[in-house]
Amino acid sequence: MAELLLELGVAVAAIALAGALAGRIGLSVIPAYIVAGLLLGPSQPLAPVGVTLPVVAYGEVIQLLAELGIVFLLFFLGLEFSVDQLLRDRRKITAVGLIDFAVNFGIGAAIGLAFGWTLLETLFLAGLVYISSSAIVTKSLIETGWIANDESAPILGTLVFEDILIAVYLALLAAVANGGSLREAGVSVGVAFLFLGGLSAVAWYGSAWFERLFTTGSDELFVLRVVGLTTLVAGAALALGVSEAVAAFFFGTGLSQTSHVERIERLVSPARDLFAAVFFFAIGLSTDLTLLAGVAVLLVVAVVTTTAGKLVSGVLSGRVYGLDRRRSLRVGLGLVPRGEFSLVLVALAAGVGTGRLGSVLPAFAVGYVLVMSVVGSLLVARADAITDAIAAARG
Amino acid sequence: MTVYETDVPGVGKKFEVEIGGDERLVVLLHHDGKREVFHRPDSDTDAERLFTLDGRLAREVGAILQGAYFQPVETDNVGVPLGGAIIEWLDVGEGSPVVDKTLAESGVRTETGVSVIAIQRGAETVPNPDPTETIAAGDILVTLGTREEQSAAGSLVSDDG
Repeated sequence: MAELLLELGVAVAAIALAGALAGRIGLSVIPAYIVAGLLLGPSQPLAPVGVTLPVVAYGEVIQLLAELGIVFLLFFLGLEFSVDQLLRDRRKITAVGLIDFAVNFGIGAAIGLAFGWTLLETLFLAGLVYISSSAIVTKSLIETGWIANDESAPILGTLVFEDILIAVYLALLAAVANGGSLREAGVSVGVAFLFLGGLSAVAWYGSAWFERLFTTGSDELFVLRVVGLTTLVAGAALALGVSEAVAAFFFGTGLSQTSHVERIERLVSPARDLFAAVFFFAIGLSTDLTLLAGVAVLLVVAVVTTTAGKLVSGVLSGRVYGLDRRRSLRVGLGLVPRGEFSLVLVALAAGVGTGRLGSVLPAFAVGYVLVMSVVGSLLVARADAITDAIAAARG
Repeated sequence: MTVYETDVPGVGKKFEVEIGGDERLVVLLHHDGKREVFHRPDSDTDAERLFTLDGRLAREVGAILQGAYFQPVETDNVGVPLGGAIIEWLDVGEGSPVVDKTLAESGVRTETGVSVIAIQRGAETVPNPDPTETIAAGDILVTLGTREEQSAAGSLVSDDG
């Protein structure tokens, strides 16, 4: 027990330190948590230069906390998912969402096929490079003050579209990945959609019931009910072979209809932040660094093409919203960072563990998210210089 | 006036208020109660962050803007505490019974217990006045005493005293 406790202590302290360092140099915390995991992981990247850090094993405790990280990331995604907003701006959101999907998912699919990957592997790769990081993007919107400008509308619209698409996509992939043959896959998809259909129905019609269930004066009892029920729903989904993340997402949308949203956000988000941090750390832990060299070419190709992809789709999306050239380019720059959802997807791929899904893709994903989260932050910070340079180049 | 409301996932709500032409005030309401306020002169210019308030402050400022919250400094109760005693400034009106009396005659000290430590007369101040000093209309008596003594002195000096 002492050993486990010590290991968890080392892990969380390392995460805290990494987060503080990232804040000091003005970078997103997500790459910092991954790097902390890499450094303390079993592959010991610093050992050749004579630094041996305490090794944290990718054990059951870390795995469980990381799993809760996925569940609560998606639970909050559902909780904060605004059906009203989607309906109010549905035409523009659909337009920019489809542009974003066609360009960036298309690039991912093209890369997969060009490198000779199988269909399933390509689907994972395309999803992974397609989806922007809501966490990093919204944070940089606020830091730069872009949130108060017109470019925030297409950026947030794109994120909303991506959020719902990734939930559906995760459900599909989880079902397909678990079944071997086409028939088995069909059955899995059927079970998944029955389960999620039932869950959505409960979420939609049961909001009055949720309203009463979570009404309590005690903050302690409130947190226990939310965390308990969310974990229970996610666990039940996983037992049935349905994505636990997607189940948590639907459960979150159910609660988003109630008056408890703000209280959940105030009281439960610290738990989410802790679990999610362990999740990013665990991604670093479980990465075999020796595989990174093997994916270097793929990584360079993906970074260059998908950065360009977001710029293209962003500029087009800006035009849909009637923005000028400078703001349209900012839409693209703002959406470059990739993060938590790419890693959720790869966690699912690693769970399947066959072919490239178990080895190459996780290493690729870590390298990709590290680069894209940093590149994205830098592009946003230098946005004015970039737009000026482009304007100057055009004469 | 049009107000645009947008949900910002993971953050809270954003309100854009049209304040004339293209000019907008943008309020970002965080889930934790923090409010950030931006100003945007027109749609071509970038918004500028004006200030950030926590929830409690924002409510008070909001109420002031609304005109509902106005708690004027109560000049009648201005006091500087000195242990049990406080200093007060008593206006001597035209109709005050102490006008044209000396401090000794007025009974301010003997009847109420406060000490007159200064008299402000227009631009000049008479520090530590003699008991023979005559009180004029428009003077301000600076008095030292307990709260009860001050209260008694206040009613003695006041016009209808």
